[in-house]
Amino acid sequence: MTTTTAVTLTGVTKRYGEVQAVAGVDLAIRPGEVVALLGPNGAGKSTTIEVLLGLVRPDQGDVRVYGDSPTNAIAAGRVGVMLQSGGIIEDAKVGELLDLVAGLHQEPLQPQEALQRAGIADLKGRKMKGLSGGQKQRVRFAMAIIPQPDLIVLDEPTTGMDVEARRDFWASMHAETAHGRTVLFATHYLEEADSYADRVVLMRNGRIVADGTSAQIKASVSGRTIRATVPGADLAALAALPGVRDVETRGDVELLQCADSDDTLRYLLANTLAHDIEVTSADLEDAVLAIGAEQETLA
Amino acid sequence: MNLDYLLFDIKRTLRNRRVLIFAVLMPLVLFLIFGASLKESDTEAGISAIAYVMVSMAMFGSMNATMSSGGVIATERDGGWNRTLRLTPLKPQAYVMTKVILSLLLAIPPMLVVFLAGMILGHVHLSAGQWISVALVSWLGALPFAGLGLVIGYVAKPDSVQPITGLTTMLIAAFGGLWLPVEQMPAVMKDVARLTPAYWTGLSSRSALSQSGLDMHALVVVLCWTVALGFIGLRRYRADTARA
Repeated sequence: MTTTTAVTLTGVTKRYGEVQAVAGVDLAIRPGEVVALLGPNGAGKSTTIEVLLGLVRPDQGDVRVYGDSPTNAIAAGRVGVMLQSGGIIEDAKVGELLDLVAGLHQEPLQPQEALQRAGIADLKGRKMKGLSGGQKQRVRFAMAIIPQPDLIVLDEPTTGMDVEARRDFWASMHAETAHGRTVLFATHYLEEADSYADRVVLMRNGRIVADGTSAQIKASVSGRTIRATVPGADLAALAALPGVRDVETRGDVELLQCADSDDTLRYLLANTLAHDIEVTSADLEDAVLAIGAEQETLA
Repeated sequence: MNLDYLLFDIKRTLRNRRVLIFAVLMPLVLFLIFGASLKESDTEAGISAIAYVMVSMAMFGSMNATMSSGGVIATERDGGWNRTLRLTPLKPQAYVMTKVILSLLLAIPPMLVVFLAGMILGHVHLSAGQWISVALVSWLGALPFAGLGLVIGYVAKPDSVQPITGLTTMLIAAFGGLWLPVEQMPAVMKDVARLTPAYWTGLSSRSALSQSGLDMHALVVVLCWTVALGFIGLRRYRADTARA
């Protein structure tokens, strides 16, 4: 293979005192992929990103960004980064910050263009400290696209945004990925990983525990859920039905987690007055929870 | 050095007028207080005593203004700004150079004001050549303090940086002979004075006014201090990746 990967992490570990933040991560990202690094707080997402960007030196392992060291890839303007918080100067004006970042790069996007793409052309003359959390995130986003990077790395980009701001943000982001950019974003919002990533890398306790498309990860968890209203339902009896793993009651609706929903359905229809029946396969959240539970059991 | 970064910092500094005014007023007031008790005929170390105090206060003013960059740097670091810079092609050397040049620019107003006060109020008479030479040498004398401000900015946290800077400035000024002439110090104090960069910057600046000409030894010591402190600042910048 002569094709260079965008990012390659090989056997990366990082320990902070007692905490093994990253416990052996191997990850290869191909150019053009949009990858979500998903996991709860403390899963090792941020440390992995810091290692990938050369901000943190791994205890073991190797990092390549476009076949080079992170520092060289950054010096060449191939990486745009949007960090989780901070990273800006509060008493600077938006336009000043963007002019500066443009001045530090070889072939920058015009600051005005970056502002427009981030949807904040009207904020140019405003000081950072007067902006809302969502507006600041947009400034960080504008700063990240100024280098015209091949790879954009975003650490929890929508933290602190409301639903609408989040949707707008991803719309801007989509416009960027349409140019064939490689994107790696860390998030703990499952919905973002599900909707915006081609590939989901699930991290837990410093390790990658699942890696694939969102559909593949969902499929890795077997079984379906039946929702039904069952008059006169007896929880114990329902739990004992063929194919049922678990039962839960929400209002007058029963949720039956089934290993084999077909058997359960046959029984329900034949022997009970169950109505308003819905059958759904696991969503990403169920998959993530199931994979997490599996990990706990193994640990 | 990166010109865009320098301009960015200059714009921010100019918006912070209170700091600028304070940096100019402090050495001026001190010069007026110290100078008021002196007669024009008094001499110290071979030059007019008023000129001696003028140079000392100009040095103190530039040192004070220069070291204030430490507070700015500590606040920037605290906000995670250095991580952002590290994720751009800006080279560490260019960062340090930019911060040092910014500090040198900050040193100009307080020095100029004290020199003007010496000329107009203190009746210090110097040839044009002497004025230029004392101004340039004094300006160079701000270099070690630009380095020191940088280092303090990396050692201190935002809430401790003000007292640390204030105390350091005061100790260096007092022990380095900017407030009390070294010539009037007891022998032990003279030895202590030689350990501070301020002693050497004062010595080199005053030498610009003396008959014997520039003290090259003192200038070399000043440059050594600058290189050493600049190098520490560079190392600290490289090592610093703290999260916001």
